[in-house]
Amino acid sequence: MNSTKHFSVVIIGAGPAGVGAALKLYKSGIKSIAIIERNDKIGGIPSFYKRKKGGVRTFMRWSRGGYPVFGQDYAAWLGKQILKTDVEVKLESQVLEIDAKGKMLTFVNSKEGKVNLSADAIIRACGSREETPAERKWIAGARPVKVFFTKQILNLVDRNNLLPMKKPLIIGSDIIAYAAAAKLKAAGASDSTIVDNRTSPKAPFYERLYFRFWGNPQYRGFDVKSLEITGVKSATGVNLNGTHIDCDGIVICGELIPNSELALIGNLKVNIPSRIPVINKNYQLSESGWFAAGNILGGFHGAEWCYYDGKKVADYVLKYISKS
Amino acid sequence: MRKYGKLLYNWSDGNIEESLIFNDDAQLGDIPYDVAIVGAGVVGSALAYKLSKYKLKILLLDKNYDVGEGTSKGNSAIIHTGFDAPVDTLESELVTKASMEWPELAKKLKIPFEVCGALVVAIDEEQEKQLEKVYAKGLKNGVTDIKILSSEEAKKLEPNITDDVLGGILIPRESIADPFATSIAFSEVSLSNGVDIILGVEITAVENPDEKTKTLVTDCGNRITTKIIVNVGGLGSEKLAKLYNGEQFDTNPRRGQFLIFDKFSRPAINHILLPIPTVTTKGVLVVPTIFGNLIAGPTAEDYSHDNKLVADTTTEQLQLLLEGASKLYPKLKEQPVISIFSGVRSNCSQGSYWIRCNDNHPGILTVAGIRSTGFTSSPSLAQHLIDELHDKIGLNLEVNHEAIDSRSEDKWPGWWKRRYDDEKFVKENPEYGKVVCYCEQITRGDVIQHLDSPLKPRTLDSIKRRTRAQMGRCQGFDCMVNIAEIISDHCEVPLDKISKRGPGSEIAQSLTSNYSDEAKNELN
Repeated sequence: MNSTKHFSVVIIGAGPAGVGAALKLYKSGIKSIAIIERNDKIGGIPSFYKRKKGGVRTFMRWSRGGYPVFGQDYAAWLGKQILKTDVEVKLESQVLEIDAKGKMLTFVNSKEGKVNLSADAIIRACGSREETPAERKWIAGARPVKVFFTKQILNLVDRNNLLPMKKPLIIGSDIIAYAAAAKLKAAGASDSTIVDNRTSPKAPFYERLYFRFWGNPQYRGFDVKSLEITGVKSATGVNLNGTHIDCDGIVICGELIPNSELALIGNLKVNIPSRIPVINKNYQLSESGWFAAGNILGGFHGAEWCYYDGKKVADYVLKYISKS
Repeated sequence: MRKYGKLLYNWSDGNIEESLIFNDDAQLGDIPYDVAIVGAGVVGSALAYKLSKYKLKILLLDKNYDVGEGTSKGNSAIIHTGFDAPVDTLESELVTKASMEWPELAKKLKIPFEVCGALVVAIDEEQEKQLEKVYAKGLKNGVTDIKILSSEEAKKLEPNITDDVLGGILIPRESIADPFATSIAFSEVSLSNGVDIILGVEITAVENPDEKTKTLVTDCGNRITTKIIVNVGGLGSEKLAKLYNGEQFDTNPRRGQFLIFDKFSRPAINHILLPIPTVTTKGVLVVPTIFGNLIAGPTAEDYSHDNKLVADTTTEQLQLLLEGASKLYPKLKEQPVISIFSGVRSNCSQGSYWIRCNDNHPGILTVAGIRSTGFTSSPSLAQHLIDELHDKIGLNLEVNHEAIDSRSEDKWPGWWKRRYDDEKFVKENPEYGKVVCYCEQITRGDVIQHLDSPLKPRTLDSIKRRTRAQMGRCQGFDCMVNIAEIISDHCEVPLDKISKRGPGSEIAQSLTSNYSDEAKNELN
């Protein structure tokens, strides 16, 4: 634990952005690269969208002509690319502390305990998560069971073959919401009701059209300031403008927010409340030698976009390393 | 030899290990209990803890599937000195006494506890005039170490408070503690001293209340015999008292909503910030929590018992809270809120700390109206109740010299003393190196340790309160299902039976119907 191992580049996160960056760096001649990943496999969020007979393909391979694949398969492809290199991947490893000025970090895993690393450059490819009800500011009410985030639905439906609800209500109306509605329908639930505080859905028509293959969710847009969840033990619905919409489970979808905790721990500058890291035009964070790539930079992008974003940021990292 | 008490859950087969299921009153033996404590909140469990050092047969029971899951779970988690308690009341006496006892108690029971001090802030001339009164009241309540501060002194102590500050009062001994660990610690020690604990049962009838041996009938049809009944049912105390026709009193839930801010807001504030209290409430406070967050609240909204919305949160009230709190700390408005919760205090129209000994029947003790100060006062209130039981009901108190009054060093929660900071823990048990809750950095080992702890918590919420997993900024986005999987694996219960708070709150209902794993990888 006391010794510090040094790498040319350390990448936090083995999702599409982290893997894209690692591959680009490796092919450009950087041989000492480590990726720290808290999940038990490579691939990030796509790895949670499992391959299922009768399931929903949610990831588009635009670079290969635009055909849809299962996230798990895309994640497996990313893993395979990494295995062809000597990039050191630490799975089930959680970064606990970072020293921004010293370009060092500490992570923990079950095999090694606490480990210190230092690097010439560090890329944060930590991705994003969905905003909590409190962060969305318009969702209040009861706190019963069966109010899920999309990731929890993926873990229950795809990983465990469990159906958490039969009559779903989805809050949020971007592509993640429509994908979740399709997934639940494919797994045996009825068509979802999708609600949002906007009059028309956030997902554009062509995205919604793709998911029409699996079902026809009903969109109910409201010009409202607040929504109240009902249900004492288990969710029973929502109140919107005096209208009660019944359901037996709620999914809170989309509205991604960057995973900013490490930046905040290490005093790297972050915009509040968006939690988007402060970067300069070279994708460098507020301390020299720190970079960010992928969905951690805000917005909502597909897996391939993040993969190529990782490669793009790798170019800036190469420039930075060659200068110092 | 110290004998462990029995721990039983009123839970159907398949949701919990068979050995923990309460299905027959014969499991409790045929000797009546000396004391049955109904309500395992912080007061009930404190009473069980203090009574457990005597040679008595004691039962602690609760309708929830964990201890401390009612009124005790949602509050500001402040250990008060009692400086602003109503003068010359039992409440004031007990709070002041308990505040002296707490530092030692927290150490013994391994309850995370910190003396952070509090600052009463006056922000206009009207309030400035009140400072003298608040100060005088503090002295009357026996809190002699308080100090009046000038605006400069207050600002120096808390640089981030409002520039409008005209003066303040420093209460150095106001403290914060882990409210969840408190009921748990009291109950765990009680259990090791032989107290029986039954969770998930509601009392539906009290038979023979005037006899020496009374019978409690439960909603699962079991009959429990006891010589003394102590009603510390919190919000349920009124309903229970009606079952034995105790003296009439009226309670209602008083909702208090809180905002929880991200941990990164915490360094801005060191003390509990209090406004000048009004007649009805202490106002909106800004409180650092022992967990490392800041919270702002509470509201005070009265509800009736049958209103199901009582535990809800509302966006309007929360907006008002933010307005109120930012009068003390203006930059709070810019801080990210990670969660909102509402706690419910038990408000008694007949007055706070409404205690009736031999309540229309010999051997029945009714305790009602224990409002938010109950968290602080619980140890001294428990002692007060024991004195009452002894003096007025004639409970025989013979000390059991084998009884313990503390928990061992390894009971410190993992979030408070990180196991992976010590190499040997991960080497001995690699699970302590496997982080499952990323926000609070809680490991699989922490979760398993609590599953194996004396009260055998089996619900997601009971694990949340013990480990803090799911309590961070992502609110379970990453870890909820993983935690459910750990409970399912470790306790050999199917995943769809894992619940948030017991029966009726299971996370899933059935297997997916037209889904299967058979599809082939088409990407190479």
